[in-house]
Amino acid sequence: MHIKDHPVLGPQLQDPVTIYFNDQPYMAYKQQTVAAALIANGVKKFGLSRKLVQSRGLFCSRGRCCSCYMTVNGEDHVRTCMIRVEEGMEIYPNLEDPEVRGDGHGD
Amino acid sequence: MVMETDVLIIGAGPAGLAAAYETASRGLDVTIVDESISKGGQLCQQTQILRTLPSPFLAMRGYELANTLINQLDEFSVRYLLGHRMIGTYKDGSIGITDETNVFPVNPKKIIVATGAAEKAVPFPKWTLPGVITVGAAQTLVNRDFVTPGKNAVIIGSSDFAMDVAIQLSDVGVNIIGIVESLPKILARDAEKTEHIMQRSIPLYLRSSIKEARGNGEVEEIDIQFPDRIMTEKVDLVCVDGGRTPILDAFYQLGCSFGFQEELGGWLPQYNEFLQTDCKDVFLAGNAAGISSQGALLITGRIPGVRVCEELNIISKQEAEHERASHWKELENLEAKLFPEKWEARLNHIKNYANPLLKDQFIS
Ligand SMILES: Cc1cc2nc3c(=O)[nH]c(=O)nc-3n(C[C@H](O)[C@H](O)[C@H](O)COP(=O)(O)OP(=O)(O)OC[C@H]3O[C@@H](n4cnc5c(N)ncnc54)[C@H](O)[C@@H]3O)c2cc1C
Ligand code: FES
Repeated sequence: MHIKDHPVLGPQLQDPVTIYFNDQPYMAYKQQTVAAALIANGVKKFGLSRKLVQSRGLFCSRGRCCSCYMTVNGEDHVRTCMIRVEEGMEIYPNLEDPEVRGDGHGD
Repeated sequence: MVMETDVLIIGAGPAGLAAAYETASRGLDVTIVDESISKGGQLCQQTQILRTLPSPFLAMRGYELANTLINQLDEFSVRYLLGHRMIGTYKDGSIGITDETNVFPVNPKKIIVATGAAEKAVPFPKWTLPGVITVGAAQTLVNRDFVTPGKNAVIIGSSDFAMDVAIQLSDVGVNIIGIVESLPKILARDAEKTEHIMQRSIPLYLRSSIKEARGNGEVEEIDIQFPDRIMTEKVDLVCVDGGRTPILDAFYQLGCSFGFQEELGGWLPQYNEFLQTDCKDVFLAGNAAGISSQGALLITGRIPGVRVCEELNIISKQEAEHERASHWKELENLEAKLFPEKWEARLNHIKNYANPLLKDQFIS
């Protein structure tokens, strides 16, 4: 849930934006990170672990654990706790390894 | 093109900002790099009141202190590279900074590493389920992102920090089912915090631990293990406080030596009374130099700042010695009284400066 009136800091959420997770629209606010905005909308599963295929989601919220990796606007493996939402952002869960050995990714 | 600067500070948390003030206010050209999008480090989401700050600061809330530290740099020559991260060094010794797309070199005369601390996990079966997060992450969601991370929560750990977060979660309407502590007593030293917890009728479970979490893709249920029974609770949020440990990446990249001090968070770079590592031009500050209280951390930013000014001939040896003596006195006042074991460990660590446990080696 979004906190509309924070007990110490008051009403802070002013500028709404729409983001898309798996092509579904969700409401977020400008100062929120991608990971936080999805949690506000009840989305906690951000991806799957490779070997044991277990769900992964936000853990540290400060860029250390990489458990919040998702694909954002076409870029794979973005730490979504470290970047803010933007209008129209397209987010997909991190379900498999990106193709890094193809053409155009160096040698 | 290489960016030149007198002082490169890695980390715009309270320690980095305090070091920036010492150096920039005396006329040095300072560049601060932080991988986060805002200044203030982990202070930004701290809404509790900090009472034991060094002069000239009076008691204030964490985010207010962050603003004070940021504002006092306004009139000086400080360049911020936010959303930038130090990821290594070049062959010629210059520092590799990335904006997450490109990497470029920065060539400083001195570097002060103030990268802070990372929270440790508390492992139990299925601790990796979504919905299990650190207490710090919970605090960040509530106070920085304005998001409630769940409806029914259990907190694991009873440190002052865990208590603050339990109170803050409860104040935004999260139902705290209990605080689980494996020891026979509460760890928080601030009795007032425990009182707040009692007033809110939040149960404190001593001698207990999490046996297992369960859920279909996210946490739905946990088993709390008591000496004589198991209690099962429906939860959608588990906040773990495993303590903190210094973030060392930058020190590996720079080739510093390491020592070990349990009371200061475990492995940490070897340093002397100037908070200087055994790489001559590399200094450190804040939680990266040992986990301590907020007030003490600010002073650990001032000490290397003074030494950098002295080595760059901005202040005289005499002035530096005078400043240093007063900073160490204040650090003793703040740290030795509240956390005598940390103060002891810090002195020990400095004593070991010439005999590091690990040299030219990664800790794995
Ligand atoms: C989530 C969280 C919540 C906390 N809440 C409390 C609390 O309620 N009460 C309390 O007393 N203490 C709290 N702490 C402890 C906190 O670490 C200290 O209070 C204080 O903020 C530490 O100051 P610092 O300057 O040493 O580090 P920090 O404030 O952590 O600042 C370090 C900065 O360095 C940056 N950084 C790290 N590595 C790099 C790199 N390679 N390149 C660029 N930038 C980098 C980080 O982005 C960060 O902004 C919390 C810690 C965490 C992790
Ligand atoms: S949650 Fe740990 S890196 Fe984002």
